[in-house]
Amino acid sequence: MATPVLTVKGLTKNFGKLCAVNQINLQVNQGEVFGMLGPNGSGKTTTLGMLMGVVNPTAGEFSWFGQPPTHHIRKKIGAVLEHPIFYPYLSGQKNLELNATIKQTDFNNIAKVLDIVELTARRNDAYKTYSLGMKQRLAIASALLNDPTVLILDEPTNGLDPMGIAEIRTIIKRIAADGKTIILASHLLDEVQKVCTHFAILRKGNLVHSGPVDDVGKGEEIVEVIAFHDDLPAHLNQFQGTKEVKKDGQFYLVKMNNGFHSAELNRFLFEKGIVVSHLATQKKSLEKQFLEILAENNTH
Amino acid sequence: MLHLLKIDLKKLTSYRTFWVVCGLYFITLGFTTASGMEFLKWLANKSVEFGATININRIPLYHFPDIWQNVIFVSGFFKLILAFMVVISVTNEFTYRTIRQNIIDGMSRTEFLLSKMLTNVLLSLLSCAMLLIIILITGFIYSPEIIWSEIFTDAGFMFAYFLEMFSFLSYTLMLGLLIQRSGLTIVVLCLSHMLEAIIKANIDDVTPGLIPFFPMESITNLVEMPFARYAFQEIQDYVSLTSVAIALGWLVIFNYISYLKLKKSDL
Repeated sequence: MATPVLTVKGLTKNFGKLCAVNQINLQVNQGEVFGMLGPNGSGKTTTLGMLMGVVNPTAGEFSWFGQPPTHHIRKKIGAVLEHPIFYPYLSGQKNLELNATIKQTDFNNIAKVLDIVELTARRNDAYKTYSLGMKQRLAIASALLNDPTVLILDEPTNGLDPMGIAEIRTIIKRIAADGKTIILASHLLDEVQKVCTHFAILRKGNLVHSGPVDDVGKGEEIVEVIAFHDDLPAHLNQFQGTKEVKKDGQFYLVKMNNGFHSAELNRFLFEKGIVVSHLATQKKSLEKQFLEILAENNTH
Repeated sequence: MLHLLKIDLKKLTSYRTFWVVCGLYFITLGFTTASGMEFLKWLANKSVEFGATININRIPLYHFPDIWQNVIFVSGFFKLILAFMVVISVTNEFTYRTIRQNIIDGMSRTEFLLSKMLTNVLLSLLSCAMLLIIILITGFIYSPEIIWSEIFTDAGFMFAYFLEMFSFLSYTLMLGLLIQRSGLTIVVLCLSHMLEAIIKANIDDVTPGLIPFFPMESITNLVEMPFARYAFQEIQDYVSLTSVAIALGWLVIFNYISYLKLKKSDL
């Protein structure tokens, strides 16, 4: 198997008594779009800060491309943490020139990345005159400057209007299609579900879940049923695949046992002489899973 | 190394404040150091008594080799203006949080410090170059006769001046990194001499031997006040090796503290 892009072992950060990140283990492989989820203050940015050398870890270690981290390796990674940071008095072009000098890369790339984020027309204006969306886009341009194989984006759509969010999402998908590995921290679950292949959930500095996004929605199904029949709940409970029946507004929600699906429930009801007027499988969203995982961990 | 200097200069050369502060510094430095004779003439005109008792043309203010120590001593007062620029340059990195982004983009913390130190070296060298030009021009204008062997006899003060500038700017850089806020840093910087004077006054009775080892004291001791010699008093008209050694020591300490601070902090 190819060397993982990122391996994290037992990474820990304490700020005084507060444990911001606790013993995190992670692995990100080539080509993954890896989402880091968690409520505000769950340690996402601190973790990324450690991976990018701005926060000194209390304990643990990590490696990029199988090598111990150095500033030389950081030059090959494009990263935007928290919010865009640039010199306000410099123009977009000059800011990128400065970053290109730091990354020791060619100035030729600047025109290309400005084009990708559609900032070419405003490149000579001072950064402080940019709108928030333009600032975010310049940050992505700057992260792309060195043609990095890994891109780290922390809340890239924070504070953007719906159009801006859609634009950034398109850019991310386009970059991912080029085979780049992307690590995306966000608390917008919808966003992660739309663009990510893998995800991890942090809660109070602990890693509480990690796996492929495709696994979300596997496992037990929940089926919505509407039928005009007085004894519907009793009949639903008779079905051998039923785990639990709840009334939710006009629906009956049937939680199914593992391995049972809506088709079998439909046949069962039909054989009982009940004709349903509505039958639908609820698609389990990442949001639901996320809340469930957080709730599970709350009780522990 | 040059690469790191280029990074810091790129941040500064498009910054209007940088040009304004540096412009003010070099203009005031140039005018003040070059106009000593004009000042004496004005003084002689203003106060009849002074003009009658002293023939100002007999004061060898700008005569080689006296000119070196005279001009360089006066120039020392202006270093505070340049220090303000260093404060702004380093505290901006914290206010804008660009120091964090620089590290993320692939600078090491040591490289970041080096880039700031190299700018300090450059600013010190530019000050030296400016003074060299002023000394040579005014020296040739005012010296009654040019004795070629005497022109550069006291040029060693130039090295002391460089050390004075670079140590003081290193001190400023360290303060900026420790305090991180421009206003507070400037206040502490301006009070440094005064705070040190208070401490010195208190230990003067106990252990006066310690006094030359104080940081601000050691920097000012590099080039001592020369003008008393025109009132027939003994002065130290050379750069003492002890002062150089102490100032060098502080230079290393200031930059090492900056290094430790940068290394340890979460940005």
